[in-house]
Amino acid sequence: MLRFLKALGLFTAAALGAAASPALAAGDLLVAPTRVILDGSRGTEVVLNNIGTEPATYRISLEIKRMTAEGGLDEIAEENVTAAERTALDMIAFSPRRVTLPPNQPQVVRVGVRLPEGTPPGEYRAHMLFRAVPDAAPASGEPKPASEGVSIALTPIYGITIPVIVRVGDLGAEAAIGAAWVSETQDGPAFNFDLTRTGNRSVYGDIEVTRPGVAEPLLVARGIAVYPEVGARKVSLRVPGELAAKLKGPVHIRYSEDREIGGGTIDEAERVVK
Amino acid sequence: MRNYGMKRALAGAAIAALAMNASAAHAASATGTATAKILRQITLTKTSDLQYATIISGATASTVAVSTAGAATCGAGLTCTGTTTAGSYNVQGTNGAVVLVGGDSSVTLNGSLGGTMSSTLTYSSPNITLGTTGGSFQVGGTLSVGANQASGDYSGTFNVTANYQ
Repeated sequence: MLRFLKALGLFTAAALGAAASPALAAGDLLVAPTRVILDGSRGTEVVLNNIGTEPATYRISLEIKRMTAEGGLDEIAEENVTAAERTALDMIAFSPRRVTLPPNQPQVVRVGVRLPEGTPPGEYRAHMLFRAVPDAAPASGEPKPASEGVSIALTPIYGITIPVIVRVGDLGAEAAIGAAWVSETQDGPAFNFDLTRTGNRSVYGDIEVTRPGVAEPLLVARGIAVYPEVGARKVSLRVPGELAAKLKGPVHIRYSEDREIGGGTIDEAERVVK
Repeated sequence: MRNYGMKRALAGAAIAALAMNASAAHAASATGTATAKILRQITLTKTSDLQYATIISGATASTVAVSTAGAATCGAGLTCTGTTTAGSYNVQGTNGAVVLVGGDSSVTLNGSLGGTMSSTLTYSSPNITLGTTGGSFQVGGTLSVGANQASGDYSGTFNVTANYQ
């Protein structure tokens, strides 16, 4: 134990040492898996790895995000969460919450569920956020004389979120593919379609767009979810101009379950893309 | 002193390695079979910072914009020097995976000699579809510079996340 504490102290010392010298993208990270589903009886593990070249301290937390009709995820401040969202935050237990890792050192984060007696059936979800804690105030050096103007230092705190979903009771859901079209966005052309959902849980899967008679899919997009807080969402995928032109016309769109659970079809439809 | 610290650091790493081996061996003997599960992963790395470089303020309020492509637009009355860059992030994961990306829409900067400035932030796309070599997204912004803005080093932090659905 004493040895362990010594080692820990060293890691901390190394981290402090790194803070003093200019850090090269300290805070780069890897997280696996990218989605966690729990049924309340068993826990799981998520791996966090420091893939940067400097030691870094990471903070792990849970936050509530709500899906929008546009398919985005809005972050919800803790004081604005609903009772069900509060239940989700309270039932998901995890450890550790803060860890300092040298480069290429993985850390296992244990995730468990504590289901209070009488929890109503439903899907409870929070998003686990992994992000690097920035170095203490960057050494500002010599203050600039008045003639030298202003210099700007913006420090991004960047991280990854993955959903942690707890399913209580026997839940089901279906989804249907709506209209599909190609549009021009400010970021370039995009392939869009509507996805509607019914039932009491989320749907999740992969999208494959094929041209009838052509084996090679035109477009594959994996990991598209419709969460229970929305009955419908738009899926808007930015595509190169060349592909946008090819997508116009008759296509077959298939929404299938994750390959890891068999890849069964959720819905498929023939559409003429305009 | 430096060598001594180095030795201790190595010892620390060795202990960690031993501990991991021990637990791996334990797991294997408990089940009697060797199994390996490959987990899907996501990585996020920063490849460049959003930089406005150095600005000399003028007699009237103005703005400096850096596009998500990194191009700078120096507002009327300002002098901008140095190289500007957009912030850029690299995401890697499963081929074809759609990752939602984004972050704060504004940031407040505090000056080392007093004073504040604010910057809006824009992102190159709300989501990216990863290819075989992953994908990337960029952050640009527009900095509001006050009339005769106090000199100094201005700093601020903002949040950027890559979100799996």
